[in-house]
Amino acid sequence: MDARSELVMRCAHKRALQIGPLSNQAFAELMQAVSDSPQDFIDDEAEQSFALLGDVLAYYKQSLLGDEFLDDESFFRARKQRLSLLRERCEEVVTLDSSNVDARLLLVLSSDDESNEQLRALIELEHELDGERGQLEPGNADAWEDVFLRPRLRVKAAIVRACLDSARYGLCVKKADELMRLSPSDELGARLSCALAYARLENEAGFDELDMRYDRRGNAWFYLARVLLMFKLDRMAAARRALAGFNRLCMGGAYALLRPTFVDTYLPDRPFAETGSFEEAHMAVHEADPVVVDTPDFVGWAQSQPDFEKSAVDFAQRYGFDW
Amino acid sequence: MACDPRREDYLRLGLRFARTLNEGDPFASVRASSSFSRRYAYNREGLPQSDADRAFHLVAEATDLIDYQLPFASEDAVEQLFEGASALLEEAVALDAHCHDARRMLGAAESSSFESYYRFLADGAEEVREDCERARTSSDNLPESQRRLAQSLSMLPFLRWRASEASRALICGHYTKAAKICEELLSMERTDPCDVRFTYALALAKLEDDEQLDLLARQCEQTLGRLSVINPWMLLARLSLTFKQLNEKAALGYLDRILHLYPHAAIVLSNQDELPDGVFARLAVAPFSEDELILAVSEASVLLQEGRSMSPKGALGSWLSNQPRVKAALDKDPRYNHRLSAAEQDSAEQASQDEEDPRGRSV
Repeated sequence: MDARSELVMRCAHKRALQIGPLSNQAFAELMQAVSDSPQDFIDDEAEQSFALLGDVLAYYKQSLLGDEFLDDESFFRARKQRLSLLRERCEEVVTLDSSNVDARLLLVLSSDDESNEQLRALIELEHELDGERGQLEPGNADAWEDVFLRPRLRVKAAIVRACLDSARYGLCVKKADELMRLSPSDELGARLSCALAYARLENEAGFDELDMRYDRRGNAWFYLARVLLMFKLDRMAAARRALAGFNRLCMGGAYALLRPTFVDTYLPDRPFAETGSFEEAHMAVHEADPVVVDTPDFVGWAQSQPDFEKSAVDFAQRYGFDW
Repeated sequence: MACDPRREDYLRLGLRFARTLNEGDPFASVRASSSFSRRYAYNREGLPQSDADRAFHLVAEATDLIDYQLPFASEDAVEQLFEGASALLEEAVALDAHCHDARRMLGAAESSSFESYYRFLADGAEEVREDCERARTSSDNLPESQRRLAQSLSMLPFLRWRASEASRALICGHYTKAAKICEELLSMERTDPCDVRFTYALALAKLEDDEQLDLLARQCEQTLGRLSVINPWMLLARLSLTFKQLNEKAALGYLDRILHLYPHAAIVLSNQDELPDGVFARLAVAPFSEDELILAVSEASVLLQEGRSMSPKGALGSWLSNQPRVKAALDKDPRYNHRLSAAEQDSAEQASQDEEDPRGRSV
């Protein structure tokens, strides 16, 4: 979530409404002015709390630096402190403005509850928001274009991920479909969780249709989902080809799969990663974990394929990771 | 029937014996038949039998060691039991190279992973089918009274092979494959001698296919009777599906039925023990018994342990064991309370010993 740029857009849109119809150029100039000094354009509690939330998230992000030098015990202690501080600050934001959806979402996500409880809390939040502001219905425009709707889309994307975490694959597909209908550009990547859910449900037709809908623009989630799908359907020649593709197209993908490491809860949404980067493969492998674990010999099979382990070792050596 | 190799051994020899009787002398035949059970019990070796019959008998003995004795054996005895069973199975294959039950059981012991055992079964299934079908055809000329039994006995090794393959596919995460095998077996043999409908129900729950699960229930009800649908595999499959759909009310309804139908169900659902699967076939247990529930919960671990969870029991497993109604039923179960008070007594005794013996603390 890019809180700053969303703040700028929110303030610019609100100011534009006050001053009346603006030409495109005038609106661009207004955006520039807001971007130079957002504080001067904050007129109400909603934006005040949104700006505050941006600070909270920036502080949280800052506090993650240096984690890699901690041992496990110190890391989990630091993490606990960090999350409880985040919760305190989010509560302050909600006290300032109870309609701040992102702060309410962060309060659920940072609770560290069981995946089942977390999903329930997220669905309850979605119900509350639907009750307060009416249900979101797919319209002519992509809902993502309306910056004031983005927080609610983030709640829906968190639900999609929580469905995958708590092994509710049919529901994951249904919720991802809802979100993709509201926002076909799918900036929040519901299709990524959906691809993994289709793989787990061994639904090849669903997976192919989804892949096609997004012009087969491959990424680590889709490549990995295809390997899992083919392996699960026992189409081993296709599975081997798909694995070779995953290995070739995702930098460090083999390493990420053979040496999975901790990935923290997305607060509030999936961090950006370049297509084909190690960060992307790392996140995809983490998100696929419930599906991978459900297929007990999958990782062993991948490891035994020609060049796969070698590729992981080479990556580790080149970038200084442990093997 | 297929799950009890002793009974199958008895039927095989009974059939063989019947084939030796002189049909022209009905009185002698009746006399001989009435003595069969006694001869089977006291002088089994004296009965006429082929190498295939001898091999199957060795399988029955190996099954007794590996499926029924091994799980309860002390650690020292495990290796001996295992070696004994392997020797019996190897002897069976030496007597009859087509003894597919023995080949399958040896395959289980020799496979290094779930997947390699699944692969062994999947690759070998066609050969077993051809063999068993050949044996079935060879019974075509038997008299009517013997033919049906002979034909069904000849196909059982194939049905067991495929049933094992389906249950391995389920464990390995090949759910469509598992469901397909079960469907094929049910259409081949509607009486479902290997109880593949249990594996089928779990596979359909994994695929979240409630329509097919409804269809399976309707089919079983029609062919096997109303009670065939009430079993813990089906109940756990339904429970898991409703849980996945966030229909907690329905999930609790299935939980209540399990708690109501099975003795000590709360203890079983809290422990969620995983047992080694029967190597010959699913262990034979009485319907509606605690053992049946233990077996089903163990097989349903693929459903219970799924999803991210802080507990090793998984999302559904930890939800189940933490349900207030499970805890309430536990409190009411005398066996649980008895065990609890024994444990408390033990720890109290230990504490008093620790106090008496100052070294206790450092031990």
